[in-house]
Amino acid sequence: MSKRFPTNGRVIFHVDMNSFYASVEAAYNPDLKGKPLAIAGNPEQRKGIIITSSYEARAKGVKTTMPLWQAKELCPGLRVLTPNFDRYREASSQMFQILAEITPFVQPVSIDEGYMDITECAELGTPVEIAEMIQQKIKNELDLPCSIGIAPNKFLAKMASDMKKPMGITVLRKRELPTKLWPMPINEMYGVGEKTADKLRKIDINTIGDLAKADSYHLKHLLGINGERLQNRANGYDPRPVDPEAVSDFKSIGNSQTLPYDTTDEREIEALLHSLSEKVAERMKRKSVVSENIQVMIRYHDRKTITRSNQLHDYVELSEDIFHIASTLFFANWNGKPIRLLGVTAQHLTEKEEMTKQLDLFTYENEAKNEKLYDVVSQLSDKYGKNIFKKNKSYENKSSVSTSFQKDFLDDYKTKKKK
Amino acid sequence: MKTWSELNTLQPIVTKMLTNGIEKERIAHAYLFQGSRGTGKKEASILVAKSFFCPNQTEVEPCHVCRECKRIDSGNHPDLHWVKPDGASIKKEQIAHLQKEFTYTGLESNQKVYIIEHADRMTTNASNQLLKFLEEPSKNTVAILLTENNQSILNTIRSRCQIMSFKPLNPIALQQKLVENGVTEATARLTSYLTNNVSEAIELSHDGWFAKSREIVIKLIEVLHEQKDEAFLFLHNQWLNHFQDREQTQLGLDLLLIWYKDFIYYHIERQEAIIFMNEIDRFEKYTYTLSQKFATKAIKNILEAKSKLMANVNPTLVIEDLVLHLQR
Amino acid sequence: MKFVIQRNQLMESVQDVMKAISSKTTIPILSGMKLEATTDGVKLTGSDSDISIESFIPTEENGIVFVENIEPGSIILQAKYFPEIVRKLPEQTVEIESDEQFNVTIRSGSAEFNLNGQDPQEYPQLPKLHTENSFELPIDLLKDLIRQTVFAVSTSETRPILTGVNMVLRDEKLHFVATDSHRLASRTIPMSDITSEVTFKNIVIPGKSLNELNKILEDSQDKIEISVTENQILFRTKHLYFLSRLLDGNYPETSRLIPEQSKTNVVIDAKELLHSIDRASLLAKESRNNVVKLMTKDGHTIEISSNSPEVGKVLDEVKVDSIEGEELKISFSAKYMMDALKAINTEKVKILFTGAMRPFIIKPGSEEEEILQLILPVRTY
Repeated sequence: MSKRFPTNGRVIFHVDMNSFYASVEAAYNPDLKGKPLAIAGNPEQRKGIIITSSYEARAKGVKTTMPLWQAKELCPGLRVLTPNFDRYREASSQMFQILAEITPFVQPVSIDEGYMDITECAELGTPVEIAEMIQQKIKNELDLPCSIGIAPNKFLAKMASDMKKPMGITVLRKRELPTKLWPMPINEMYGVGEKTADKLRKIDINTIGDLAKADSYHLKHLLGINGERLQNRANGYDPRPVDPEAVSDFKSIGNSQTLPYDTTDEREIEALLHSLSEKVAERMKRKSVVSENIQVMIRYHDRKTITRSNQLHDYVELSEDIFHIASTLFFANWNGKPIRLLGVTAQHLTEKEEMTKQLDLFTYENEAKNEKLYDVVSQLSDKYGKNIFKKNKSYENKSSVSTSFQKDFLDDYKTKKKK
Repeated sequence: MKTWSELNTLQPIVTKMLTNGIEKERIAHAYLFQGSRGTGKKEASILVAKSFFCPNQTEVEPCHVCRECKRIDSGNHPDLHWVKPDGASIKKEQIAHLQKEFTYTGLESNQKVYIIEHADRMTTNASNQLLKFLEEPSKNTVAILLTENNQSILNTIRSRCQIMSFKPLNPIALQQKLVENGVTEATARLTSYLTNNVSEAIELSHDGWFAKSREIVIKLIEVLHEQKDEAFLFLHNQWLNHFQDREQTQLGLDLLLIWYKDFIYYHIERQEAIIFMNEIDRFEKYTYTLSQKFATKAIKNILEAKSKLMANVNPTLVIEDLVLHLQR
Repeated sequence: MKFVIQRNQLMESVQDVMKAISSKTTIPILSGMKLEATTDGVKLTGSDSDISIESFIPTEENGIVFVENIEPGSIILQAKYFPEIVRKLPEQTVEIESDEQFNVTIRSGSAEFNLNGQDPQEYPQLPKLHTENSFELPIDLLKDLIRQTVFAVSTSETRPILTGVNMVLRDEKLHFVATDSHRLASRTIPMSDITSEVTFKNIVIPGKSLNELNKILEDSQDKIEISVTENQILFRTKHLYFLSRLLDGNYPETSRLIPEQSKTNVVIDAKELLHSIDRASLLAKESRNNVVKLMTKDGHTIEISSNSPEVGKVLDEVKVDSIEGEELKISFSAKYMMDALKAINTEKVKILFTGAMRPFIIKPGSEEEEILQLILPVRTY
């Protein structure tokens, strides 16, 4: 199978760890390898339920959420462990660090899966080669199996990673939809739960292909906006970008961009920092937030990456201010070597409405200078309402992924030192 | 090492640099005293503090008896501040406390000295806190950081300190110290050759394993020269049981090395350099069976074995190979 | 050293100096209390190095004998046990004696305690007060100076110098100034009778020390003598001697930061305003920074309001004596305003605003006392 990078469009990976908790336990205690193993809420009590199980256990019919007694009946030699969440968190963080070594465009979705946008990683090899490299690295360094789906968007990548487990690498091209995706039963489609599947079956939609070809008006009537979205996906269309900050939600807003070629040209670098700062400021404005901490990311031609941030004593929101801080940070930390990628991130965000700033005797003049301007803003606000200065912020659509974890820690791998 | 002149016998360079600085009133804001355990770092830091506060100095030597000197010794001097690890490390709060102390005027004078023992054990937070503080030195303040582990000091801290390297003690001075501490002369000679740290040397002198090591090494030499064929048996029955890991094997090889060196010293009539003093009879006995040339070759073989050991070659292999060489 | 002393007098002095002794000291000898007998009487000293307190018990006062059989000398006693021992002694008179080896014997009636003392030479040497380089103030006035300024010192160590009160002697006036950079409190008193011998000009006294001093001093018309040495400030009343180390460094020049002209002037009943702010702050406290808003309404009213999205709104109108100048809408910390009003403590206050982003000044309605409170507003977005 040879797969080159497409000339247009994106290359998205969905990396899915195979029976993650059980695999982590087996990596921890190799005696457990190859044996039926389950992680259960409370092994002492027969009432405990299976959280996850190894493939060996699954082969005997053990399933997630099955009561422990039933699992033991199906699989008499079943080894049962209580969950060690710290262990899983640590393994997860290491796994995401490995992904982040390939590209900064990594979006953790849960403890054991995430998306990557490797469109700009062509120099590392073909997508399949990159996937093999990731899979091997996770296997060698963490002793954990994973499956990787390769596709032009998140939905297809997710579906692809499910097709071959464990240790699978599956490419799902758009032209392969009729043969690979459409024959699948509707309840196996990502985003279609049992209830939705029931509804769809009632109108004779039994496969993903049925959904793709269904009457869109009818669908919208049945499932609302979600109907349209699901149909788009069934047709191989999913516009969601891989958003590295999705998981951190409101904690930071950042943009990064690869330069067309590695450069040391200061003007070019400044121009990019400027446009990144503008993008960040624009997104901050949309979310009505201000920041107290600006971070720049520098990735050199050899993929060595550093991040440096500056804790401010003041809130910033304007692109010129962000650019000023970012470029100061950049030039203070740049080692002069050719640069491949730059990123600017506004961190420690506060919603404007919540915000007040106690002025300082020794510095208030800076603020007082702009008093007239603020006056105008506030008069206009009084007259026309506060909303003229911000756009509606509730358009954000969060994908709902349920895990037994808070998602906060998924961000941790970014701050951990690379080994 | 209570006075500059005593310190001078052990650390002449450091003593000269420090006393010159004091004499010419050119004391740095911050010093880093680095050197292994027992080399006189703490004593030197106390001397600097005394020279700073003692009103009755003769040249640079403080009087050691005035109120200032006595309170420096007892830890009651209000303008001398000690920071030591609290448990395993020096915590940020300890440095913060120190920092607060230095935003105040002195209790008795406006001169202040602070000494940080085991400065390498500062947590990262504490180091950063101290750094801020070193960046803005106030004029009458002297900081002295002590460390045995210079590598673990932040570069940014090191670059703000004048560095004083305390040399390992010379064996004769150390030997004297050991004898003063009740170690027999023969043992003192040996241990002072193996380490230059007083406390480590005393520990070795009282260590049963170490005493046994000596016995086994001598026994090996005996076997090598008197019952050649038994050498391998001895190796496996005794030596390998005693010298188990790499580090222990290194010590065994060191002892072996000393014996052959001693033998050569005996040959060239430099008896004063001999470390195994009790082996003189044996040297005499072997004069006719063991040539100087063979002893020199033995030394070469032992040194090779030592470097192989360092290069992670299996200790058993190394020592077997060595014994083969020494048998011939 | 040896003396016989009245237990009540001793107990009182012990309690005074214990206020300076801390169990958390890094200098071992400071966990002790110093006793020193001279032919004039007995002096007790306690110190945590930041502050030191000496209490003097004269041999006699008003014909009543407090100390007798004095053999001069000094000793350091463990402060951990000494106060309890004194409290529990059976008789009114106490004999305390120490020998060359610093063994201490305390006798009272049937009881005898033998304690291990320490060498007095190990104790810090505290500066002596030199009368020619000192000045006097009524205790009440000093307490006012402290109370009206010390609350505004900074509690953060980021700028350590701001944790103290700046005491300046200039133009025959004594100024106390404190600021945490968000508000500033100052009080000035005339010092015409000061002698030219007094050499200090500008020092910074730790706020913590002044709070401690204020607690120890009882309200009184008596005078307190103040003297400044190179590294300490000394306060002396009749029998009590309070010393504090100073903050090292230059205090920022604040006088030029105080606006000289204003655009909106309000005269208002201090209590009414205080209560109104207090009400508004009830809800404002719930949000992050306890901010209230002040808005001029017409010639006679201001509106005080606060809005905490989670809890609700407060709106309060307060009648004023007068409003002059431009219309104004300004936000500030309710706490700072209440602190300032309490410090001024007059019936009417005058508030001088220079704009919503600039510091404003609160002064007493009548100008007889030179007290000034300045507050930096809060910027809202």
